[in-house]
Amino acid sequence: MIRLEKDGFKNFIEELIAEYAVFAPVMKDGKHMFGNISSVEDIDSSRLNTEMSPKEIFFPHSEVLFEYDEDGIRVADGEKKPIAVWGMRGCDARSLRMLDKVFGGDGERPDNIKFEDPYWERRYGDSLIFSVACNEPLSTCFCNWFDSGPHDSAGADIFVVDIGDAFLMDAVSGKGEEFLKGLSGSGKASEKDKKKAAVIAEEAVSLLGKKTDLGELNDKLKGLFHKPIWDSVSAKCVNCGACSFTCSTCHCFDIQDESRKGRGKRVRIWDACMFPIFTKEASGHNPRSLSKERVRQRVMHKYSYFVDNHGEFLCTGCGRCISVCPVNLDIREVIREVLAS
Amino acid sequence: MNIQQELRDAARKLLAEGGVDQIIGWSSGSLPMSSTPLFAATKEEADDLIFDATCGSNLTVYFTKDRRQIARDGKKSGVVVKGCDARSIVLNLKENQIKRDDVVIIGVPCDGIIDRSKVEDKTGGREVLEFSDNGKNISVKGRGFDIDIPRTEVLSDSCISCVHPDAGMSDIFIGEPRGEQKTKDQYLSVEQFEELSAEERWERTKQEYSKCIRCYACRNVCPSCYCNECFVDQNDPQWIGKTLDLSDTIIFHVIRNLHVAGRCVECGSCERACPMDIRLLLLNRKVAKEVAERFGMETGVDPDAKPAMSDFREGEKQDFIMG
Ligand code: SF4
Ligand code: SF4
Ligand code: SF4
Ligand code: SF4
Repeated sequence: MIRLEKDGFKNFIEELIAEYAVFAPVMKDGKHMFGNISSVEDIDSSRLNTEMSPKEIFFPHSEVLFEYDEDGIRVADGEKKPIAVWGMRGCDARSLRMLDKVFGGDGERPDNIKFEDPYWERRYGDSLIFSVACNEPLSTCFCNWFDSGPHDSAGADIFVVDIGDAFLMDAVSGKGEEFLKGLSGSGKASEKDKKKAAVIAEEAVSLLGKKTDLGELNDKLKGLFHKPIWDSVSAKCVNCGACSFTCSTCHCFDIQDESRKGRGKRVRIWDACMFPIFTKEASGHNPRSLSKERVRQRVMHKYSYFVDNHGEFLCTGCGRCISVCPVNLDIREVIREVLAS
Repeated sequence: MNIQQELRDAARKLLAEGGVDQIIGWSSGSLPMSSTPLFAATKEEADDLIFDATCGSNLTVYFTKDRRQIARDGKKSGVVVKGCDARSIVLNLKENQIKRDDVVIIGVPCDGIIDRSKVEDKTGGREVLEFSDNGKNISVKGRGFDIDIPRTEVLSDSCISCVHPDAGMSDIFIGEPRGEQKTKDQYLSVEQFEELSAEERWERTKQEYSKCIRCYACRNVCPSCYCNECFVDQNDPQWIGKTLDLSDTIIFHVIRNLHVAGRCVECGSCERACPMDIRLLLLNRKVAKEVAERFGMETGVDPDAKPAMSDFREGEKQDFIMG
């Protein structure tokens, strides 16, 4: 574990920018989100969680897959530099690992289908993720339900703890280890530093709400598909896309061809199971025409289907869906209701 | 008696004797400074009803559109309404979306709704863990802060300029009506915007709408936006691009604005729902001002007047018709 003085942070970010396309939390038109930074001054750490999740760095809302005209098809080049993300939270770092199971090609699936999405891979594949531990989790955070916590290093390449006057950094992956080896201006963390980090971690954990045991959740859900619970659970939902679009793990998309005479482009665009057109078939029939069917799908995908396919819940407990929902449909209450049914 | 208790009593009575199947109102939300829609079908559930400055969602939305059919299917529902929400009921009655016999309108006196994003600006984004409201100031507490903020600084834009805070149409009214507000500057923010140069107006519009993530929360919470199939959701033919390209996004907003012209009640539900805090109401209110000036009409205020866009009178200004 190394220790980087805060005085040396500016230098550190500058060195990082020289080698990587660096993303970090920024304030853009009053919204806190991840942005490509060009100096340390761009970083804004005033909020714990960004309002938009960092999935958009690797899987943007609208992405041109290729363009075409009479001369042929062109795929846009990717970033020249690899991506580094500073200031990711543990939940979000874990969310990328989940998305990697879908887009990254090494996902273990029971049907053994392997698919690697080149657009994801060229960004996430050689990225360097710095997870900064959460010292003051929010009331909407429930990462502890997923056997994680505010000081969980999973999903990171380098795990960082802010101990006030310095950052402690620990390599989690081989990539992270390589990077830390070459890092200038840093020293080794002392025993005192480590103790301090442990105290901070303990305090952070104590700020979280009570954990709900999710051991039975998938089994419960399996028996509920046709049950009336979805009427009450979905009653207030207005079927917008606010939860899915801010969610760090939702990843459904639509493919659109935008063609003009003689030229065009194919674009991949975020979609959401809440939208009426999401499952509308060419015949005009919509197998999920009702609100409750869409809410059920969102819950099932996260807490049942993904578990069957990939061995974990498709939710990190980041709490974004809770803070953005215009009608305060709190996913934690839905889970509790399911477990109690 | 405080209005909360009066509201619960009225709801209990309606459920017991009024032939009402459910009361649609608000209860406390799961987060500090939040409320959540409640569909109370029993007396016990009615005891969770609240009304305060967090009750921002316009519950009329649950009477519209098939996918929000919670208040449909031949049910009779009581619904708790602020002044703006009542105007939505009036509009939907006129547009034959609600049957008068299916709804019991419960008016509550409204002192304005808090805009969470404005409070967040005041706390510098720090999370509010406790909230109280004494009618003049709100107090918010969180880790490392405890501040009082004058209500006027955190009210929704819709409420700052609100003229009719009481339900114009109601079957039951809880508490004391507030009476018409003499807001001289009902359209002040619009006028200030109109005075800017075209370039400045475009810059500001661009800045706001480029934040849009196309989640449609604004559309989906709106009781005036109830088309069975929204133009946004049509793909054969497809009317509109779905990317975050500003031209796609702006078209969505402009068309939505024109679709709710003379139909928007300026409740601000859309603006408060927007996860990106886009100041949506400005355009809506610009259109409302046009409607007021041209047709002398405010949406949902006069229960007997025809909706502006469904009416034609000789001598109406027609200078907007191109030709
Ligand atoms: S749960 Fe909330 S945010 Fe999600 S679709 Fe429903 S209303 Fe929108
Ligand atoms: S479902 Fe909600 S809590 Fe879970 S990852 Fe998505 S936004 Fe976060
Ligand atoms: S457009 Fe917005 S302000 Fe107007 S009625 Fe709809 S939700 Fe209310
Ligand atoms: S709610 Fe906000 S972000 Fe969502 S579509 Fe409407 S304006 Fe855009």
